[in-house]
Amino acid sequence: MSLKILKFTLNGDPIEIAISPDEMLIDVLRDKLELTGTKKGCGKGECGACTVIMNGEAVNSCLVPAMKASCAVVETIEGVGSTDEFHPVQETFMDMGAIQCGFCTPGMIMSAKALLDRNTDPTSKEIKKSLAGNICRCTGYVKIKKAVQAAAEKMREKQ
Amino acid sequence: MLQDYLFPETVNEAVSFLQDHEGQARIIAGGTDLMLDIPEGKIETNYLVDISRIPELREITMKDDLIYIGAAVTHNQVASSELIQKNAAALAQAAGYVGSHQIRNAGTVVGNVCNAQPAADAAVALVALGATAEITTPAGQEYVPVEKMYAGVGRSTIDSTSQLVTRVSFPVAQKNQGTAFVRLHQRNALALPMLNVAVMVTLENGRFLWARICMAPVGPGPMRTLGAEEVLKGAEITPEVIEKAAQAVLEHANPRDSALRGSKEYRTSVLPVLVRRALGQAVVDAGGPSN
Amino acid sequence: MKEYKVIGKSVRRLDAVEKATGTAGFTSDMKLPGMLYGKVLRSPHPHARIVSIDTSEAEKLPGVKAVATHKNTSRELFNTSATMTFTVPPMQPVLDQYIFDNVVRYVGDEVAAVAATSEKIAEAALKLIKVEYELLPTVYDPKEAMTTEAPVIHQCEMKNVPGEVIQIPFGDVEKGFAESDVIVEKEYKLPVVKQAQMETQAAVAQVSLDGKITVWCTTQTPHPTKMILAKLFSVPESKVRVLNPPYIGGGFGVRIGCSAKAEPIAVALSMLAKKPVKVVYSREEDFIASDTRHAGYVSVKLGAKKDGTFHAMHLKATLNGGAYCSFSVETPGVLGCMGLAVYRVPNQFYYGHSAYTNTTPAGAMRGFGNPQAMYAIESTVDMMAEKLGIDPLELRLKNIMQVGDPWVLPYKCGSTGLAECIEKGAKSIGWENRGKLNKPGAKKLRGIGMGVGTHVSNAWPFCGDYDNAYVTIQQDGSVHLASGVPDMGTGTSTTLPQLTAEVVGVSLDRVSMTLADTASTPFDIGSHASRALYAAGTAVVEAARDARRQVLEYAADLFKVAPERLVLEDSVIFPAGQTAGDDCAGSPVCTIGGKERKSITLKELAYDAHQRNKQFIGVGRIVPENAPPWHAHFAEVEVDTELCQVRVLRVAAVHDVGKAIHPVICEGQIEGGVLQGIGYALSEEIKYDDRGRQLENSFHKYMLPTADDVPEIETGLVEAHEPSGPFGAKGVGECGLVPTAPAITNAIYNATGIWFCEIPVTEEKMFRALKEKAGKTV
Repeated sequence: MSLKILKFTLNGDPIEIAISPDEMLIDVLRDKLELTGTKKGCGKGECGACTVIMNGEAVNSCLVPAMKASCAVVETIEGVGSTDEFHPVQETFMDMGAIQCGFCTPGMIMSAKALLDRNTDPTSKEIKKSLAGNICRCTGYVKIKKAVQAAAEKMREKQ
Repeated sequence: MLQDYLFPETVNEAVSFLQDHEGQARIIAGGTDLMLDIPEGKIETNYLVDISRIPELREITMKDDLIYIGAAVTHNQVASSELIQKNAAALAQAAGYVGSHQIRNAGTVVGNVCNAQPAADAAVALVALGATAEITTPAGQEYVPVEKMYAGVGRSTIDSTSQLVTRVSFPVAQKNQGTAFVRLHQRNALALPMLNVAVMVTLENGRFLWARICMAPVGPGPMRTLGAEEVLKGAEITPEVIEKAAQAVLEHANPRDSALRGSKEYRTSVLPVLVRRALGQAVVDAGGPSN
Repeated sequence: MKEYKVIGKSVRRLDAVEKATGTAGFTSDMKLPGMLYGKVLRSPHPHARIVSIDTSEAEKLPGVKAVATHKNTSRELFNTSATMTFTVPPMQPVLDQYIFDNVVRYVGDEVAAVAATSEKIAEAALKLIKVEYELLPTVYDPKEAMTTEAPVIHQCEMKNVPGEVIQIPFGDVEKGFAESDVIVEKEYKLPVVKQAQMETQAAVAQVSLDGKITVWCTTQTPHPTKMILAKLFSVPESKVRVLNPPYIGGGFGVRIGCSAKAEPIAVALSMLAKKPVKVVYSREEDFIASDTRHAGYVSVKLGAKKDGTFHAMHLKATLNGGAYCSFSVETPGVLGCMGLAVYRVPNQFYYGHSAYTNTTPAGAMRGFGNPQAMYAIESTVDMMAEKLGIDPLELRLKNIMQVGDPWVLPYKCGSTGLAECIEKGAKSIGWENRGKLNKPGAKKLRGIGMGVGTHVSNAWPFCGDYDNAYVTIQQDGSVHLASGVPDMGTGTSTTLPQLTAEVVGVSLDRVSMTLADTASTPFDIGSHASRALYAAGTAVVEAARDARRQVLEYAADLFKVAPERLVLEDSVIFPAGQTAGDDCAGSPVCTIGGKERKSITLKELAYDAHQRNKQFIGVGRIVPENAPPWHAHFAEVEVDTELCQVRVLRVAAVHDVGKAIHPVICEGQIEGGVLQGIGYALSEEIKYDDRGRQLENSFHKYMLPTADDVPEIETGLVEAHEPSGPFGAKGVGECGLVPTAPAITNAIYNATGIWFCEIPVTEEKMFRALKEKAGKTV
């Protein structure tokens, strides 16, 4: 099997990396690029812990062949906010009890961010639908949903 | 063992690559099913031919009273398309139920059909819409009703190592037409349906002109129920008629016992309820009376 | 009421930044230089003898560095759960498993493991291991397992019953029933459910050439796990270090002790390969080969006087222990004790045990037997209410345990806010609307139901239970806390520092905590039994008081006053009666650095001490009491009688937590528990096929609720001060799950008139019940 050169934009930076064509995006991110913020909860697209944003859409990186990222713009949790200025979703997750064990958190934040990047005034139903692919076993989702609503509000205020 | 992963720029390029590699190359669109099947050894291929960047396959278009959905169009694009919501509410609803938000962002409606799972939500809706698939092979194009694309449980008539379904199409809805999709599931996301039903009705002067009712999983693929459709043909829109049609679907339904998704007896018992509810919604969608 | 500066406030969690940015460390993210990847070959058979095993082909595969089987690994019997380290004498821990054995007892049982340079190579090597099995007869039901025809899974005194039968007598139950006016008796059937924590079982083991073992892993109990591994591999405990790195992706009981066998297998492979080895279970492995909740049967016989006074109760449990013991002795113990502790019933008896079967081992899961008990008891109490014609809420208020009441537990009922929980919850759900929600002929029926319960705040008397902590004042006056408990999401890495800051008298940002590491923290039995805040917190408070005492004694010398006269607040020490920086004449002054001072900062004091060769090291060594948290849950449901589906519309959950050290964390614990309880009541279940294979072995098939399935959940906190707890606090972690299922099934009865004596109430069960009911009324 010959290696392929994968070029894409990751968290704003150009990336060029040799991969085998059967690798999945999650493994390139976690193992090759050592961005372990993206979590592996099931490896089958059933829990959302590995959610990243590719070309503006939340996807399960465990179901995306890495080659699909070719020329794409990929965002992972490592590219969201900074300690100087957290993303509003990070802020509200941290302050409103939306984080417990933290294992679903990066994926959850990516799903929420993808939603709010597109729509800063989502309905409660839209929030539920956007997060339903992200399993959280700790929180019962109550505070997560409130945090997303509050982040939306913050983002609307900024606009 | 996978050797290469390609992005053809045109349909012809994709199809000739398949032809040149004689069964060793396979089409991939969203890959949300395929990328589970390959590691499990259910499917082996040397080349994956990714069609998701072919411009004309990425569009939902309307032309000559037909609506076309390209093979690279995702479930979420369909679910949120105003054109689809207006002309084929059943399909927008069905696409919105598949897997999860992330799956719907990657998985395609055409892929949903080609994967040939018995209860594929989008396929069920497409059958009710009377949709046709455009299949491209090196020899040219063929047109096959979506309904005829099932060769058995989990088996499509499409061979993705030599054929490419380029798009599906169905007629633009008339004012007196309506559709609906209802689904029975154990939770609201990340769940296959226990049952799903899609219907399309055409009304005239307080009567059903005709109807299409499709349901799953009650056979190898989405199943039309001609007897029930016959009951509706020309009949007055009344709760009794709808109930009669709903009961008539059982002639065609043969759900199996599933330890995961309900017994035959249970599913047989609730199927008419779903059909009744779907018909009720479709009538309203078509501008008819609500009961 | 005393104003607290740090506790009682919902500050930003101290782990929040790392977790929100993806930088928090988890075992499954680790990578060490030269690290190999371990994969496990698991039994495809529910019960078989391994006739032969040939690993030669696997060993030849390039990249394979070690293959472990029963032939080349420890022959020490052990128990993956922490029971083997803290069973209370005279009871003896049940040791019934090896890392690998020549008999496999469930589908998923460990047969062999491979360490290789990549996961792919390790997986390929597994396929090259040739195993010849001789199939043995199987049994899957705990009652059947006890019959003479059933195969012996492990030799036991009583057929297939691990350990001993738990019997709890209280009063005279025979006489009690004879004196009762009304008796209700029912048997309930409970499903296998799974913790389904987000991070699967994982361990990274590094065995150094001088024999020291370091294991980063997902355990909830680093110190007991260190004891298990030391025994298993015959090395001194001082040479074994077990730690979380420092976070765990959830637990819910699934790794009290080892993380299934991730640690033992990683260590065994690392010993063979002489390289670090990482073992991460796939989600399917996590389902099929790590502990589940105990399924089984619970029966309740309840006797009452005509006026509703409970007079006698007989509780019996036969639980499915699965293939290995794990916590199969303690779980029926807790089931009985909790079941008998909620109501004042003068005559009670409990008889309970587990039985081995050829299914995945059952162990600890949030609630530890208590949800099983309370589903059965709270259903029966509603049946009793119906029979007596008394409102179920009134019946409960009449019979619930009060402070000082005699009960079966060897500690006092020192506090209860249950009546207040009931009143608040009833108001929140609108109890008065119960029975008035449905129009005649409606196909969608609504109903309201309730359930109550109690729990523990630590593991004693079911296990040994003690805690230690160090609070060390740093040379700049900041404070370091070392405690052996993990933070599996429950917030201990925030709440324990909160306690420290409050007691020492500093702000929270001056406190840092090292947790869950046997090399740098003193012994602690870990995070389980809703105990981390209550029990480890008591040790932390003790250590913080000790450190503060030392600081004030040192300062007293400088101020030349008695230490009791000094105040330490916001990192400033000053004599009582004057505020920091106050300059009133005649007040005591301290001389430091040649200057006279009215107050001194902790920073200055600590550095002064440092210059005089002294550090303040507070030590907390405690044996905690135990205390009952209380809770009342109310649920409103809607039953679609045509589709046979139940939807929970609202849940009101009110909990007596003693004192909420961090109210938002308390609410979060309750909300998470409630949703798991909804799953327990309605959808979560693992069934086995006739070949012993799990049908629901993935997130896709196992129907835990998603974000789109959550009803409105309203939580309420009641604070009935618990004298034995830190600042009056009690446990809360497990409680949200305890009374949820019966609140829902009682609501279903209220809606439909059908009692469900088996959960989950799936569409299928509702269909059969409605059909049966229709048959009866026709």
